[in-house]
Amino acid sequence: MMNNAFAQPMWLNGPAPGQFYNFMGGNTQAELPRELTTAGPFGTKHSTAAITTGSSVVGIRYAGGVLVAADTLVSYGSLARYQNIDRVFKINDKILLGGSGDFADIQSIKRSIDQKMIEDQCCNDGVVMKPKSLASWLTRVLYNRRSRMNPLYIDVVVAGVDEAGVPFLGNVDLRGRAYDDYVVATGFGRHLALPLVRERKPKDRDFTFEEASNLIRECMKVLYYRDTRSIPQYTVGICSASDCSVKGPFKVEENWTFAETVEGY
Amino acid sequence: MSTIGTGYDLSASQFSPDGRVFQIDYASKAVERSGTVIGIRGKDCVVLAVEKIIADQLYEPDAASRIFTIEKNIGMAIAGLMADGNYVADIARQEAANFRQQFERTIPLKYLCDRVSGYLHAYTLYSAVRPFGLSVLLASWDEADGAQLYKIEPSGTSFGYYACASGKAKQQAKTEMEKFKFADMNTDELVRSGGKIIYQVHDELKDKDFRFEMGIVGKETNGVHLINDASWSQLAIEAGEAAKNADDSENEI
Amino acid sequence: MFRNQYDSDVTVWSPQGRLHQVEYAIAAVKLGTATVGLKNNDYAVLVALCKPPSELSASQRKIIAIDEHLGISIAGITADARVLSKYLRSECLSYKHSYGSTYPVPRLITTLGNKMQTTTQRYDRRPYGVGLLLAGYDEKGPHIYKVEPSANYFNCKAMTIGSRSQSARTYLERHLATFNTCTKDDIICHGIHAIRSTLPNDELSKDDGASQLMITVAIVGKDQPFKVLTDEENLFYLDMAKKRGATMLSKSGRNDDDDDTPPPIAEDKPEPAGPRDPQVAVATMERP
Repeated sequence: MMNNAFAQPMWLNGPAPGQFYNFMGGNTQAELPRELTTAGPFGTKHSTAAITTGSSVVGIRYAGGVLVAADTLVSYGSLARYQNIDRVFKINDKILLGGSGDFADIQSIKRSIDQKMIEDQCCNDGVVMKPKSLASWLTRVLYNRRSRMNPLYIDVVVAGVDEAGVPFLGNVDLRGRAYDDYVVATGFGRHLALPLVRERKPKDRDFTFEEASNLIRECMKVLYYRDTRSIPQYTVGICSASDCSVKGPFKVEENWTFAETVEGY
Repeated sequence: MSTIGTGYDLSASQFSPDGRVFQIDYASKAVERSGTVIGIRGKDCVVLAVEKIIADQLYEPDAASRIFTIEKNIGMAIAGLMADGNYVADIARQEAANFRQQFERTIPLKYLCDRVSGYLHAYTLYSAVRPFGLSVLLASWDEADGAQLYKIEPSGTSFGYYACASGKAKQQAKTEMEKFKFADMNTDELVRSGGKIIYQVHDELKDKDFRFEMGIVGKETNGVHLINDASWSQLAIEAGEAAKNADDSENEI
Repeated sequence: MFRNQYDSDVTVWSPQGRLHQVEYAIAAVKLGTATVGLKNNDYAVLVALCKPPSELSASQRKIIAIDEHLGISIAGITADARVLSKYLRSECLSYKHSYGSTYPVPRLITTLGNKMQTTTQRYDRRPYGVGLLLAGYDEKGPHIYKVEPSANYFNCKAMTIGSRSQSARTYLERHLATFNTCTKDDIICHGIHAIRSTLPNDELSKDDGASQLMITVAIVGKDQPFKVLTDEENLFYLDMAKKRGATMLSKSGRNDDDDDTPPPIAEDKPEPAGPRDPQVAVATMERP
């Protein structure tokens, strides 16, 4: 019940300095979703850890396109819980998305992105989302969530080509940190794959497609050997001016013969 | 309307003594002034076709397009006020997005139709708003439900159809449509007859030039709603031109 | 009193299925001075007539910059246009913030149309009494859109609105076929000629010097952020239009020998990014 003990202001929503005059019954501001509002009277408990997780994503840019690879494992803690999940997604004909971190959050953000693609289609004006725009949007969303102390626990790779066919490869993480480069990696890949690729980068030119795909193969192998949250099966997304698709799954070429010689553990 | 101006026709929230809400009837008049729009439903396909009367030669060909995409596989065509149409298209898209968010699937056309007609109906209840001057055709195709076609009137009533028409030449279009047996038609035949009907009902004497617009969704479009797709449109326009020329030569004899 | 009993509110349909209040709002557009929008393959140009209401006053602002790829020219109630331009600016800004790129013009127009539509359907609102010509450039090329108080919007090859715009329309229709292929200078000159034709004859006759014709010109296009031309540039183009007048009016497809005369100033230099306040062609009213 409304408390009528106090007099109501004479003119609700009346003239306020520095604003357009908005009168009652006009367009009211849409209410923010609950997770985006500030704490309630008893505080708000936010999630503080990822539960079901995907490990590394590795992306390499080559002349005319990009490659994005991730193994098909989604772990539950240290348990290799779901072993056949694609973590590289085709968003539209120009964009690939690779996701690591909390898989539920990845699925959630992917749903939002998919809705944007439908909106693009509805507009029927031939304009489609560019990878750079998507990376920018993700940065805004993730930074906004972290500023509200309620981050999405994800670390994503956005890759693709723009309307001129120029490749783009970028990374956005749960704090809204973002950068783009010829190689990006998330999770353990940031430690194991990044230096490996940078070492091979010719100073004067981009990678060729062959070089890039060989490097992806090698990175996925190293990651499998050294990252406990990985399995020897991965998918690779390829995006160039002529093609955008997710290929695989591929198997890592395992060789454990050296294991017999390992001592001292 | 024989009882114009009886004083009971100034508000959507007012009945006349004989039980009509005149404001809704008047809104329908706006629909009747608009170019013809038809929807026809074949075996594995639905076609929406529009006679878009070109009001101004300074407009681009795609100006004031009256066919919209609402979801991947849902098309919408309107007869009536353009501004209302754009607005309702936006509402329909929001409803489709809301359904997808909740159920992670495309909204079945039956439900979309329910939601949009509920929205239009709400505008017939209050004196503070006016009814939409719109007739809305909704079309979709998917594997589960096949081809679907609905029409919503300004009053908010809606029905499913095999074929329906709105706008200026609604009656002629209905007459033409009754000659066909759309339910058994394949995509090509359906597209051609869509072209034929629009070209036949266009009144060259009253209206100047018109542009044929078409939305199509069906098995052969992989369940994607396409607007003015080059090859399908060409098929329809050729069939339409041919039918018109045949009619013309008949008249000369 | 009322012209008929169905024109008191925007929520009342007439028995013929018309909305008289919306039609009256459209009539408000015709009270404003004329403005012209036209485009070639790479540029969209707005030309507006600014006639001061009295000799003591400055003229109304006719062209409003929205974003670096977009601007509007208005005819009708200027105050209403300010509300709409504020909306457009904030939409463009928020789009740029989210996506790091400029708002595709047709999509922006759709949101504007839907905002304006609500005012044509509610008892407590009136339609915006202003017509807009919108010139924009995006990845699909240049656009000219016309937006009416009825919330209808149209993608146009060229368009003119405002008082006496019929004569400008005649000019545009006659030269429509040549616009696509003509040069940037030509398209501006065509715009000036079109706007000139909206002047009453007696004013035209006393218009001996080119400076008599008060206009604002704005251009946007390929590698050309939206820009309202300066007084000097206006004079330059007025002069050019006058010189070319005879040839352009006589034959629509002209030879390109003397095209691309360099303007007096390096006018192609892209200015720093971001929306700027337009420079009005005549002196604006300043606080004492």
